[in-house]
Amino acid sequence: MGMLSVQGITKRFGGLTAVDAVSFEVHEGTIHAIIGPNGAGKSTAFNLLTGFEKPDAGTVSFEGATITGMRPHRIVRLGLVRTFQNTVLFDDMTVLENVLVGMHVRTRAGFIGSALALPRVRTEERLAAEEAHRLLRLVDLGEVADARAGDLPHGRRRLLEIARALGSRPRLMLLDEPAAGLNNAETAQLAETLRRVRDSGVTIVVVEHDMGLVMDVSDEIVVLNEGRKIAEGPPLLIQKDPAVIEAYLGEEAVDA
Amino acid sequence: MEASELLQLVIAGLKNGSIYALLALGFTIVYAATNVINFAQGEFYMLGGMLAVFAFSGLNVPLVAAVALAVVTVAGIGALFERLAIRPRKDADPMALIIITVGGSLVFASVARHLFGSDALPLPEFTPGPSFVFAGAAIERQTIWIWVIVTATVIGLTLLYNRTRLGRAMRACMENREAARLMGIDTARVVMVSFALAAALGALAGVAVTPLTSTRFDIGAGIAVKGFAAAILGGLGSPLAAVAGGLLLGLIEQAVIPFSSVLKDVVALAVLLLVLFVRPQGLFRRTRKEKV
Amino acid sequence: MAAVPATRTLRWALAAIAGGLVLAAPFVVTDKYLLRILTFVGINLIMVAGLSLLFGYAGQISLGHAAFYGLGAYTSGFLAKLGVAWPLALVAGVAAAALGGLLLALPSLRLKGHYLAMATLGFGEIMLFFFTETEVITGGSNGLRGIPPAGLGPLVADTPQTKYLLVWAVACVVLLLAANVVRRRPGRALRAIHGSEMAAQACGIDTVRMKVQVFVISAALGGLSGVLYAHYVGFISPSTFTLHYSLVLVTMVALGGMGSLAGAVAGTVLLTMLPYADAIIPGLSRATVELLQDWESDIHGMVLILVMLFMPGGLAGWGRSFLARISVRRARSAGGDA
Ligand SMILES: Nc1ncnc2c1ncn2[C@@H]1O[C@H](COP(=O)(O)OP(=O)(O)OP(=O)(O)O)[C@@H](O)[C@H]1O
Ligand SMILES: [Mg+2]
Repeated sequence: MGMLSVQGITKRFGGLTAVDAVSFEVHEGTIHAIIGPNGAGKSTAFNLLTGFEKPDAGTVSFEGATITGMRPHRIVRLGLVRTFQNTVLFDDMTVLENVLVGMHVRTRAGFIGSALALPRVRTEERLAAEEAHRLLRLVDLGEVADARAGDLPHGRRRLLEIARALGSRPRLMLLDEPAAGLNNAETAQLAETLRRVRDSGVTIVVVEHDMGLVMDVSDEIVVLNEGRKIAEGPPLLIQKDPAVIEAYLGEEAVDA
Repeated sequence: MEASELLQLVIAGLKNGSIYALLALGFTIVYAATNVINFAQGEFYMLGGMLAVFAFSGLNVPLVAAVALAVVTVAGIGALFERLAIRPRKDADPMALIIITVGGSLVFASVARHLFGSDALPLPEFTPGPSFVFAGAAIERQTIWIWVIVTATVIGLTLLYNRTRLGRAMRACMENREAARLMGIDTARVVMVSFALAAALGALAGVAVTPLTSTRFDIGAGIAVKGFAAAILGGLGSPLAAVAGGLLLGLIEQAVIPFSSVLKDVVALAVLLLVLFVRPQGLFRRTRKEKV
Repeated sequence: MAAVPATRTLRWALAAIAGGLVLAAPFVVTDKYLLRILTFVGINLIMVAGLSLLFGYAGQISLGHAAFYGLGAYTSGFLAKLGVAWPLALVAGVAAAALGGLLLALPSLRLKGHYLAMATLGFGEIMLFFFTETEVITGGSNGLRGIPPAGLGPLVADTPQTKYLLVWAVACVVLLLAANVVRRRPGRALRAIHGSEMAAQACGIDTVRMKVQVFVISAALGGLSGVLYAHYVGFISPSTFTLHYSLVLVTMVALGGMGSLAGAVAGTVLLTMLPYADAIIPGLSRATVELLQDWESDIHGMVLILVMLFMPGGLAGWGRSFLARISVRRARSAGGDA
């Protein structure tokens, strides 16, 4: 069984079945992609995996533990972390503070310890700040650590969100359209960062519309359409899959 | 309890409830247009009464004209408040808008005190005369006026929403503001009209009730809480539900009186907290999930 | 980079100067009127420190904080009149307020924005009703008279100077502890919740727990402030614990700037002293002061509106841009030297 095992998860919004009995496995040390036309249910699937929505049916287990219906912060504690399609940063905090918030689950200091400035709290703060700086350098944001997060340009916001997610030292990271709005150079840098992160031992699932990026980095692809899984396999096979071509061509025909 | 006493309570409930209904309508109309709860809504009510008293006793204007003048002036104040204090920050987070309306309520109440003093001010009944007696229960003439005003308001709003372009635009904004904007509706105008309308309804309630209770600069906050309790009972969605919420709250209040007249004053607060904690979407509406 | 230690030194220096002034005040100030006002500043600071954590940092509005002030004041005042030792009465007052905070926080967790504002406002009004109606305990609208001054055995704070020192000692400790909290992990978590509850959860923050904790802490500080107030003035009545006082507190935090403790302190000092400006500004005419007092509510209301419209960062925002300008200038002159 894989690191993440998804069994028949289903989510209905009123009459619409946004995710319909979807199952897949994610294996440790890989980059997994989920693709599909707009409204296919990709973000909803992420919400179901990370506790932001409760599935109407199905189970999700992560490293052997059932996490279906668990609250989001507990899932993060287990080592499964996510980013959002529309990049939600803490705009009024500094870049460094954003990453420090990302490290919340790996630090302990509570109200009392912090108020009294206990030695262990001070040490923890110092170590956390060092690690946060290290993570920022990993995504090339080292020199803007003290800038206000809300002042960063779009591309750097995406990277900061990844750095913040890495702050929890996750085992598995779910990225929702990390390349949206990035230019070619930034996308190339992102691909590079993803590989670096994977090589550091973090498994990745990425929802992405940028097919270049998907084919470039992913080991395995799941294709959703109208809430259902219509294909699954390595990039080369997916590119040739008639159902996938049909789903995408259908979309383009509508777009045109 | 005798039937006539019961009837008397029902009459009082429907009287107060009508006032709450008018305030609840004000909250609902502004909320529908802007997602703002206007904490100054109670001050519009206070200002309505105050200005009517001032026009009638200070300027010696006939009562009818004084009432009209008060309502129109307060509507203007509402529109001006929206234009000067709300519109510049209309896209800010709700917190900023809450604080702005809270600030507005402080300023309105305080300015009223500077202008009209801190005494309770009376206004004569619209049509003085003995109460009507109906099945052993007395109905004050002013109560009839209050009912007439509420009924007229409901009919007027229904016509506005169904028969006029402006009303249809307001309804479209109520359903979905973004979509309304995309359809080319001038949402800024809808918002301003909504504030003016809400202020006018608040003022109307204040004017209608002042002959019975007199008015003071500091009554706004208390009545606003009741109006909001009514609005939230109704679910802050549809104007009709707001009216229903108001009447219901008025009746619930009276239902407590036989047990303890002291408790009457906390009933609205208790209802408010209960609804907020248990059914924040109101009695008549199904839950709506927000998109993550 | 040199700018960062510079502002830090500046900050410590300012804190040290402020601390020195605060401690020296009762020995220098002979004017009882001024000392009384300064004591009220201290009492309000404790209150506002709590509200700042809840509202300024976590972004959870409360329009009912006067209730916690009242819970602390009445509980402690009532017990002390029964002969309970002051430290015990104090603990009970703080506990009562904290419990009130917990009871309000739990059902309010789902509520945001207007709904939370209205729920806290309703809670405040209900508590005010109880303060007025439970005459056996609170003395009803006549209030509770003859509350003994704070004290422990033979040590009794019964002179203006000792009362001042007691209040300010507590205020300084509270502010120091709060300052320690806000720049560390819990403070960041609170600000994260303010920024986006969803993103905070995605970072592993138990937002429910955090919100309950900060609500209770905030209420407890309100209670502490109320206890000190009750034993300072010796007489409490419902007219103190009104919606109006809750709104004044919110004004202090908003004027200071959301997410800034220093700003909240500045806002509190300014707004508390404002109606008594003659005590610090010599030569201010009686008429001016009376005008200020008469227009106090208008000023509060206008402050709320104008701050939200034109300076959302509040006083702290001004302070920050001022410091930023200094450090830019320093960096520039340092660059020139090299
Ligand atoms: N909270 C919600 N309430 C109602 N409908 C929803 C909700 N969330 C998603 N949907 C609907 O579910 C369907 C799937 O949405 P989802 O956001 O998961 O798609 P997606 O694959 O992420 O699309 P995109 O590529 O545009 O991000 C859509 O039709 C959407 O409108
Ligand atoms: Mg999506």
